[in-house]
Amino acid sequence: MRRGFTWILIVTLLLALVLLGGTASAEKYTFAWIPKALNNPVFELGREGAFQKAKELTEQTPDEVEVLYVGSVASDAAEQARVVEDVVARGVDGIAISCNDPTALIDVINKAVDAGIPVMCFDADSPDSKRFTYLGVSNYDGGKAAADLLIRYMGTEGKVALLTGVPGALNLEERIRGFKDGIKDYPGIEIVTTVACYDDINQGVQVVEETMQAYPDLDGWFFVGIWPLFAGRGSMPLWEEAAKSGRCKTVAFDTLPEELEYLKDGFLVGLVGQKYWGWGYDSIQILYDYIVNEQEFPDWIDSGMDIVTIHNVDAMIEAWNTQDFTKPLPPPFPEE
Amino acid sequence: MADPQLETKEEKERQPTLGTKIFRNQLITLIFILLAMVLFLGITTSTFLTATNIFNVLRAFSWIAIAAFGQSMVIIGGGIDLSSGSNMAFCGIVAAALLVAGYSVTLAVVIALVVGAAIGFLNGFMVSRTYLPPFIATLGMMSIIRGFCYGLTNGWPIRGLPQSFLFLGQTDISFLAWKIPLPAIIMVVFAILSFILLEKTKLGYHVYAVGGNEYAASLSGISCGRVKLVVFTLSGLFAGLGGILMTSRLGVAAPTAASGYELDIIAAAVIGGVSLNGGEGSVWGALIGAALMQILRNALVLLGFPAYWQPSAIGAVIIGAVMIDQYRKRRF
Repeated sequence: MRRGFTWILIVTLLLALVLLGGTASAEKYTFAWIPKALNNPVFELGREGAFQKAKELTEQTPDEVEVLYVGSVASDAAEQARVVEDVVARGVDGIAISCNDPTALIDVINKAVDAGIPVMCFDADSPDSKRFTYLGVSNYDGGKAAADLLIRYMGTEGKVALLTGVPGALNLEERIRGFKDGIKDYPGIEIVTTVACYDDINQGVQVVEETMQAYPDLDGWFFVGIWPLFAGRGSMPLWEEAAKSGRCKTVAFDTLPEELEYLKDGFLVGLVGQKYWGWGYDSIQILYDYIVNEQEFPDWIDSGMDIVTIHNVDAMIEAWNTQDFTKPLPPPFPEE
Repeated sequence: MADPQLETKEEKERQPTLGTKIFRNQLITLIFILLAMVLFLGITTSTFLTATNIFNVLRAFSWIAIAAFGQSMVIIGGGIDLSSGSNMAFCGIVAAALLVAGYSVTLAVVIALVVGAAIGFLNGFMVSRTYLPPFIATLGMMSIIRGFCYGLTNGWPIRGLPQSFLFLGQTDISFLAWKIPLPAIIMVVFAILSFILLEKTKLGYHVYAVGGNEYAASLSGISCGRVKLVVFTLSGLFAGLGGILMTSRLGVAAPTAASGYELDIIAAAVIGGVSLNGGEGSVWGALIGAALMQILRNALVLLGFPAYWQPSAIGAVIIGAVMIDQYRKRRF
């Protein structure tokens, strides 16, 4: 009698478990979010966005969403390919990746997709792979926007210098190409030199100062990345003097707090930035919709670009301070 | 026994002509190369021979040169220190983190220097006590320290350093009619200190002896292990100092800073005539080697040389400088 009761209890409990598991749709999804490198601060912001979205999805839907933040320490395609393989071996439900190289990652991305794990790209694409979509901006358009900003402030005549990171990096070359096309119609604008700093702050500061010496009458700069602006005030006296006095107008890529400070204090006239936070926030939503809601996505999703000038810099600083990038930025030129 | 022909040859070598004397002296060869570059740039550009530019160049290579003094001691002693770039970045981060946490400039700098020296000591310990080849020990250390840089900062650069610290790297000292950057002065002071240590002390003599022939040195009663501990510790300390100066000049300590600088530092020493086989070279050579490389970089920008080709030009100059040196050694 006693034994029979125990059996009934066990069977009931088991049945209840099976029923609960069957009826409730609560699933756990793990998405791997893979940046180009762990040592690049802009991806930290993307990671925050990804975690934020995971938290929101977990709270607002019956499912539980978890983000796995993994990557190679430095930008290295081979290392990154290994990371993708590890993630596939570990088993995840989806992957969002910013590719160090469009070709080098094709094989591992395809392997992941063949293993039933959907992959999307953000920031840097691998268009020939089996990834289902790409969330990003056209760096070419960004370069054009930078040229437009510079022309607005500098005018249609002047000597301009370009600072790039590692020559040959696809995203930087695209920005430069866009910039050159943007000033093409103004023969008065002359690019006097292009210098490279190999993604090194120290070298960036050095070459900017050397260029200021070589071309004391320089009218404009296009920093294709943030490098020398990571350095503190007083590290580039020649550039700072020329920029502050308004003699030399500088437009830079990215919208990090360091640059916003420089802009607010009148050293920079304009910034063109990607939506780093959205890289994480939006890509996790896209993965979720693709897998759970079986939503279709186009081949390329434009993540848009932030144009920051003195007119909307405060809103951008506010967004950084509150870590809330969901509000749209005020227009950079309100008079239009 | 004595070969008369050999004797006359030795006789000849004992009385070298002035020209031979000059060519035998490596420093003078290097100074000639340096002067030739300066002259060329002075003629071809209007911007090179300005006080601002010269002092900019001096400041730009000062931290590489300081680290290269320590590196030279290690290489002369028969080793190599691949961790100096990471060490520069790490000491900068340590100093910056302490400053941001509210420590005084003196304390932050001293602690960072001690950390640099401790890293060097660990290298020396691994090499002398566990008999790891210096290449492997410092290669491992390079990676370990770089990991600490990323780990402690989460990848973000440390900013907002106090003005009193930036003074170290950004201030100029008035001397006669010039305003000389402080890092350049510190560089010269450390060059003299290193020179005295290497050329005028028993320890310095031992460094050359250990690097020249470790077996013979130990037979003659030199404690090779201790010599190695000292040179590696000094290399760590010097790299740390270089890193701190660089950080204060830039006003930011980035975890990615000084990536690959170990190769610049080693190249500076080698261009300056420090033999990778050990036992040969001087700190003055390393100083000129560092100067040569920075002047070249500066020149490429001033001349408007296309950025994409600059690495090739720098590589060609490194090879060329060492080739001239090898030719000099064989010929004279």
